[in-house]
Amino acid sequence: MKFVISVLSSSHAPSTRRALRFAQAVLAAGHEIIRVFFYQDGVLTASNNLVVAQDQQDIAQQWQAFIAENELDAVVCIAAALRRGVLDQTEAQRYGREAANLAEGYQLSGLGQLHDGLQQAERLISFGGQ
Amino acid sequence: MAKSVLLISRQAPWAGIAAAEALDIALAAGAFDLPLSILFMDDGVLQLLDQQQPLALQQKDLSANLQALPMFGIEQLYVAQHCLTERGLAESTLVMTAERLDDQQIQQLIREYDYVVTL
Amino acid sequence: MTTLHILNASPSTATQLKSCLRVVSIGDGIVLCGEAVQALRPGSAAAEQLLACQQTYHLYALQEDVQARAIDTTMVSVTLLDYPAFVALCVDYARVNSWT
Repeated sequence: MKFVISVLSSSHAPSTRRALRFAQAVLAAGHEIIRVFFYQDGVLTASNNLVVAQDQQDIAQQWQAFIAENELDAVVCIAAALRRGVLDQTEAQRYGREAANLAEGYQLSGLGQLHDGLQQAERLISFGGQ
Repeated sequence: MAKSVLLISRQAPWAGIAAAEALDIALAAGAFDLPLSILFMDDGVLQLLDQQQPLALQQKDLSANLQALPMFGIEQLYVAQHCLTERGLAESTLVMTAERLDDQQIQQLIREYDYVVTL
Repeated sequence: MTTLHILNASPSTATQLKSCLRVVSIGDGIVLCGEAVQALRPGSAAAEQLLACQQTYHLYALQEDVQARAIDTTMVSVTLLDYPAFVALCVDYARVNSWT
């Protein structure tokens, strides 16, 4: 079955860890993930400026590794990302900001990509709140 | 046939950007001509109240986005009657025409869509 | 055409559980995860709410969240899920409504 997974909370929220464990189980069961869509505070997971204490799980790093290993389509909502300070090179230049911080493996795009994913998929599972 | 989405909007317009970001999902569906309806529930019903003055908090007027919905082809708006009632708003004027649904009608509504997005 | 509802907020601070129970259809499923599993504590106000209409829906909870919080579920009719079972459940129901 084809899934879209949306992540709506920051990387330290329990729901973002739950989303990752769920996504891993989706692939392990032989299902397909059409797209992972990061929206609202979920876009913060795609920042490469996160520094996590050594005795804590780095869920953002684990998400990034999972996306890379499985060559997943990881889309970060551009409007939600800009207002939370997550910028790629193009946007950093456009708005005259010093640094781009979108982690490798993620792409900024519009909400249309969420709807496009839903049209291709059969299930949407969202992980937000706590 | 395009797959349909029921967006359940549960956040007050006064709770930061969440209500506006939920509405953006609807506007994006409209821009791509995809079938989407909105159900306002819990504090989300407060988005529909008339005569609110977000400018007093230097806040953008969300009702402008709401009123743009029909232009984007989003015409099916619903509101949970019990959520209006328990907030003392049963008889209040709403900024948009929204069909008032009881619990059974909401149960039925959810079953009619391919996806439910609750924000 | 049943729906799987996923709840993740504490029943004492959020309206998720109360609102979900109003709109749950016969045959739907409810998965409790995160702080929502606090509703399984025997004798709590939330447990009473939850169990009052339990003939309507199937009740599930994420096992890791129950275990982490030391909640005794032996008195409650709830199916505990690991992640593979959680995924399978999302396939079984026609749609998933994540209450965030």
